[in-house]
Amino acid sequence: MSKFRKGGGREVPGVNTSSLPDIVFMLLFFFMVATTTKESDPTVKVERPVGLKATDMTPYKQRSEIDFLYLGEPRNPARAAEFKLGYALFLDNVLQPAAGELYNTNAISRWKKDKFESKPPRMKEKIENVITCVKADKSAPTILIFDIRDQLEKIDALTVAYAVEDNGVF
Amino acid sequence: MAKREIPEINAGSMADIAFLLLIFFLVTTTMEKDTAYVRKIPKKLELPQTDPIEKRNICDIAANNENQLLFRGIPMEDPDLISDKVLEFYQMNENLTKAQTIAALKNPGYKGSNFPFYSFTSKEEIEENVLTSETQLAEVENTPGVEEDVIEFKLKQLDEWLAKQKAAESYGKNILPEIHFQAHIRVEVMAETEYELFTKIQSEVEEAIYELRDFAAKDIFGESYGIIKKREAMDKTDKAGDKRKLKLLEVLYPARIIEVKPN
Repeated sequence: MSKFRKGGGREVPGVNTSSLPDIVFMLLFFFMVATTTKESDPTVKVERPVGLKATDMTPYKQRSEIDFLYLGEPRNPARAAEFKLGYALFLDNVLQPAAGELYNTNAISRWKKDKFESKPPRMKEKIENVITCVKADKSAPTILIFDIRDQLEKIDALTVAYAVEDNGVF
Repeated sequence: MAKREIPEINAGSMADIAFLLLIFFLVTTTMEKDTAYVRKIPKKLELPQTDPIEKRNICDIAANNENQLLFRGIPMEDPDLISDKVLEFYQMNENLTKAQTIAALKNPGYKGSNFPFYSFTSKEEIEENVLTSETQLAEVENTPGVEEDVIEFKLKQLDEWLAKQKAAESYGKNILPEIHFQAHIRVEVMAETEYELFTKIQSEVEEAIYELRDFAAKDIFGESYGIIKKREAMDKTDKAGDKRKLKLLEVLYPARIIEVKPN
C-alpha cells in the first residue's frame, strides 16, 4: 500500500509577512501618541525629588508655554570647578553658571526675555503668566532657586514651577 | 493596443521603513511626565502703610542648613506631619459660628486662639465692598501724582472682591465663610537647605490644600476635586462649569504661600 508518499520533499510554505508593516505602524502610532518629545538632553545631572499632588505640566498645555531650566552638577566633572557651589544651570543647550556673584548674572533674565520675545504675538500671554519650570537636583541648595526667582522677578516673569516626580494617579 | 499589465509594487521594504520611524520615536521621546508645583512670585509693591500681620495668621514652616524643620516654632522630626499640621491650621476655627468666633476672640484662654479665625461675609457686604473698592480705585486714579503701586494695589483689591462676589453666587448660600485675609503659609528656608526638603514642604502644603478643597468639593458639588480639575483641563468648552467651581474652591481655601528668600 503506498497511500503515504515517502520522502518526496514537501516544501514548507514561507511565512506571509505582508501584515508586518501594519503591525509596526501600529506600534509607531502608539509611541507617537503616548509620548512627548524631549525638549533637550541636559548636560547636568538632575535627580528629581518626589512629591504628591503636583500639577501636570505636559498634556493639555502646549509645551511651548512653559520654559524649562535645569539646575544640577555638570556631567563633566572637569567643568564643575567653574561654577559656584558646583552647580550649573542648563538653558537652551548651554551650560551657564548658576546665578550668583561669579559672572553672567543676567543669563536667566536674558534667556527668558529672548524666549518670550521670539514667540509669535498670537501665542503670547502676559509674561507674568508664562511658566518657568525649574528642574533642580535633589541636593541643590535652595539659595540657587531663590537666585533664579530673583532674576525672574526682575523681568516680571512671576510664575515659577518647582519640578518634582509625582508617581500618583493624577 | 495590448493591455499592459501593471507590475505590483514591492512592499517588502515597508516594514523596514516603519521600523526606522519607530526606532526614531523610541529614542527621541520620554514617557515620564513633567510635574511641578506652580507658584506665583508676589509682585513688589511700595505702599504707604499696611496693617501688621497677627501671629496667629502665620503658618510658619522653617528649615535650616542641616535640613531640620521648625513648624510654627516647634521642632519637627518627620516632614510627613506637615500636611496634618497645615490642615489643623485651616480647620481649627472653621466650624465656629459667628457668635462663637466673637466670643473666642475675647477669650485668651481659648485653645484655638493661636489659629486664624474665619470671617462671615454676606452677599450684601460683598456687594458693598465691591462698590467701595471701585470708588476708591477711581479716586486714586484721579489723584495726580499718585504712585502706580497704589493703583495696582487697589486694582488687586477690587479683583479680589469681584472674585468673592462670583464665588458667593456659585456657593448658593447667603454667607460666605472665609479664613482671615491675612492667613498664609510661610516657607522659610536657609541657603543650604536641600531642594529635596524644600519641595517636600511644598508637597505637604499642596496635599493639605488639596484635601481641604476635596472635602469642600464633595460637600458642595458631590464630586472630588481631582475629577473637577481634570475635566476642566480636558474640556475646553467648559460644559460642566468647572472653571466656576474651581474658582469657588480657591476662594474658600486660598493657597497663600510666601517663600522667604534666605539671606
